[in-house]
Amino acid sequence: MFDSLMYFLTVWTQPELLFLVGLGTLAGIYVGAIPGLSVTMAVSILISFTFSWDVYPAISLMIGTYMGGVYGGSRTAILLNIPGAPSAIATAMDGYPMAQKGEAGVAIGVTTVMSFVGGLIGILVLAVAAPLVSDFALGFQPRDYMLLAVLGILLVGSLSGGSLLKGIFAGAFGIAIGAVGMDPLTFTERFTFDTQLMRGGVSFIAVMIGMFGVSEALHQLHHIDTPAVKQKIGRIVPSWGVVRKYLPLSMQTSTIGVVIGALPGTGGDIAALMAYDHAKRVTKNPEVPFGEGAMEGLVAPETANNAAVGGAFIPMMTLGIPGDAVTAIMIGALFIHGLNPGPMLMIDKPDMFWFIVGALSLANCFMLIFGLTGIRVFTKIVEMPRAVLIPLILLLSIVGAYAVNNSITDIYWMLGFGVFGYFMKHYDYPLGPVILGVILSRLLDDNWRRAIISERESLPRFFEGIITSPLSLTLFVAVILIFVSQTPLWGSVKSRLARKAA
Amino acid sequence: MSRNLISAIVALGLTATVAVAQDYPTKEIQGIIQWGAGGSTDTVMRAVTPGAEGVLGGSVVMQNMTGGVGAIALNYVADADADGYTVLMGAENPLLYKVMGLGDKDYSDFTPINLLARGTPILVAGPDAPFGTYPEMLAYIQEHPGEVKFGSTGPGGLPSVVTAMISSTTELDVIFVPYDGDGPALTALQGGAIDVMPAVLGASVEGIRAGTMKPLVVFDIEASAALPDVPTITSTNPEFEAFLPWGPFFGVFVKNGTPDDAVAKLSAAYAEAAQGQDFIDLMAGRGFTMMNISGDEAQAFLTKWQQNTAWLMDDAGLTKVSPADFGIARP
Amino acid sequence: MTPPKTRKSGELAFAAFLSLASLVLLYNAYAISGFEALSAPGAIPMATTLVMVITTAIIFIKTNRAKPDGETSFWVDIMPLRIAVVTLMLIGYALALKPIGFLPTSAVFLLVVIKYLSRRSWAFSIGISLLSLVIIYLVFRIVFTVLMPAGIVPEGEALAWVRTLFSGAN
Repeated sequence: MFDSLMYFLTVWTQPELLFLVGLGTLAGIYVGAIPGLSVTMAVSILISFTFSWDVYPAISLMIGTYMGGVYGGSRTAILLNIPGAPSAIATAMDGYPMAQKGEAGVAIGVTTVMSFVGGLIGILVLAVAAPLVSDFALGFQPRDYMLLAVLGILLVGSLSGGSLLKGIFAGAFGIAIGAVGMDPLTFTERFTFDTQLMRGGVSFIAVMIGMFGVSEALHQLHHIDTPAVKQKIGRIVPSWGVVRKYLPLSMQTSTIGVVIGALPGTGGDIAALMAYDHAKRVTKNPEVPFGEGAMEGLVAPETANNAAVGGAFIPMMTLGIPGDAVTAIMIGALFIHGLNPGPMLMIDKPDMFWFIVGALSLANCFMLIFGLTGIRVFTKIVEMPRAVLIPLILLLSIVGAYAVNNSITDIYWMLGFGVFGYFMKHYDYPLGPVILGVILSRLLDDNWRRAIISERESLPRFFEGIITSPLSLTLFVAVILIFVSQTPLWGSVKSRLARKAA
Repeated sequence: MSRNLISAIVALGLTATVAVAQDYPTKEIQGIIQWGAGGSTDTVMRAVTPGAEGVLGGSVVMQNMTGGVGAIALNYVADADADGYTVLMGAENPLLYKVMGLGDKDYSDFTPINLLARGTPILVAGPDAPFGTYPEMLAYIQEHPGEVKFGSTGPGGLPSVVTAMISSTTELDVIFVPYDGDGPALTALQGGAIDVMPAVLGASVEGIRAGTMKPLVVFDIEASAALPDVPTITSTNPEFEAFLPWGPFFGVFVKNGTPDDAVAKLSAAYAEAAQGQDFIDLMAGRGFTMMNISGDEAQAFLTKWQQNTAWLMDDAGLTKVSPADFGIARP
Repeated sequence: MTPPKTRKSGELAFAAFLSLASLVLLYNAYAISGFEALSAPGAIPMATTLVMVITTAIIFIKTNRAKPDGETSFWVDIMPLRIAVVTLMLIGYALALKPIGFLPTSAVFLLVVIKYLSRRSWAFSIGISLLSLVIIYLVFRIVFTVLMPAGIVPEGEALAWVRTLFSGAN
């Protein structure tokens, strides 16, 4: 116990490590905020960069970058309606309307404090219950992942805004985009039209930058001459009363974040969207409606995506299995530094586990500090004249789309989806479900096929499998309930019941 | 800021003369990694390249380029100029692209700089599997046809080659559940979604040590130093000797037609980097066998590997096009 | 049900385009593997494109029934000159990037678009474009070592030369 505490405190007490975590967090916030610079990319580069360092400083820098990056995505989502990272897509839905009302300072303040809360819960679960959670996560079978994906797809209802029909189309379109290219399971070509160009598939980041960056920039050209909204920067740090009010919700959404983060194959992006949907479901009377600047719409995704960070480390530390793309790279980093990540790591090297927990919690604190101090500079960005801001956003979108895969093809995709997204926006087709579809496409498709192959292509056996497993059954019932609650039928039943009760 | 700007402008003006005066490398070399960040190929390349950079006196910018079973990266390098500034960091898969109908290019369009190491296949099972050795597994499959679930990673991957070896010696009535890499498949094995997985030894060694998966047999002639107690397949089934030793490998390549000077410099740099003690320890720890070969020796290895594997797959009926159509001779 | 809806200019054409595109994609999805098996690689694509065809068909019928709103005009409200010009500039950028290279293409793009949109002086536009380009170059090229297409500018060599200059001085 005493040893664990010592290892935990290593990073807090050594000035060099303390500095590196801080530096990483600060850099991470900017990496996360710029669409096209991703944490995955930054951490891969850090592997080469820190190659000759000792393992502690190297990991310190990476963890700082990771924590800061996940949080940083919310900045541009709130200020420009352009999520800096996929996990901030849901944040834009209520954050940007707040910025339009001049409340960007408040929005960023709440986001920062709630990210801290989420991060803290993720780390706590990692420290206290890692083996338990990883056993649970390991138990997910292909059919459970499939049901989880179906559950995710039902979020289309929450993300559609006006027309559910257009939302369903957008979601299906997203799933189809995700299928383009060489199928990773059978190497069959799908939607490639026999061209080399399409074989590599469509980069998900390119779709996101196009639909949210370019189409938003084009859209804002309509209002180029309207002066930018003056941002009120009064009280940035939310009062204790505000934090307390959202604490129950943030506990629930953080739990969603940890579990989704801990599952290998799902990460902060899905967690944030699911949390947003959850908040919409449980918040009966928001002060401001969702989509127009509801505080709950900020709290939910931001707690969830930061809680997912701690979650992602759970399978990594206990089993050597990555919880998401960034932890996959960090496992590689541990290998390079002579450690053997795997089920034995926690037994062979308990210092490493507690060191990482310590570094994560330190990074979380730095995130809170940097998050609350640099706001003034950031809000100046939105007050820049649009005639300068929009060309810069366009150039950044292009460079960002290219940077993901060093591919000019991705720039074409990005621009194509940008212009297409611009038209969709104009004719009231929601863009959120497209991204949701792309994110969930592989999860749904791959696991459906695995599940049905495992049951020798027999649907009765497939359903028998669902009914006999408690986990699958729970997920299945959740799918049915959420589906029913979204259909018009449920509305009429509910009102009839209410009438009876009255 | 303004100082940077000035130096950049000055530099632009002077470049034309500088470029001629210096030898290779005069700018960053782009290293295209065929597989995603965090995978085996990625880890190996990111571990060996810093050493090579030191010898070269230049920097190598590594970039993961995924998709199309590695074909996207291969085509990218093949489409770039043959000037030694775009390097392919890949694995064995391209040698099977032609017969699997996945592309019309393979390593014959490239010059090997260094074949770093090769892996050993191993058959692992879940910890609760009702069998503990290869013969027991075959007997169990015989009694329960169509029930045991094997993990696979698509046509041409290591599991498909190992399964082709097995099914060319005996009948194998099992379900193949596809995964997009041995990492996710081994995770599924520990969670009970599949029962048996042919994997590369390095990826499973930690799980075996911890008892979360059970080793059945090593597909090699000699026992592995990393897992000396696991029996070799030839100790029970000598008929496998014809296929072995076989394994996936990692290599660094440039496009054919690259200047000899660049090839020589790159080869020397990677050969020296592969001798670094840290790198050797890393590879040994993951159960890889060091090769560190280049030039004609590497070329001969590639040719032999392709002949053996392509015909093995063809005999098992797993190819789309016969190797003979591409002039790949039967070994 | 909300009574008679109106449609924007071009909305019907967009809906028609989506319906046709969905049909093409459905045919494509069928061509992947047909009705081979529940686990076939074409199964999910077929299901999703079928959903696309059904939803776009209903949307098309509904939009067709809606009256044109009579207020919006395509070239004023949906694609005014300003947006059309910027879109064309973007396409031009994409085409010029590989042959000409990142630095000159981006400089020209930023300069022209900022000048066009802001209607400020040339000095202002040149100053802002160069400053932002330098920052973007430093962040992406130097810190994140993203190798943008060099095109006609041998910036890789220039950079290596600058680096030797600095390492030589130390």
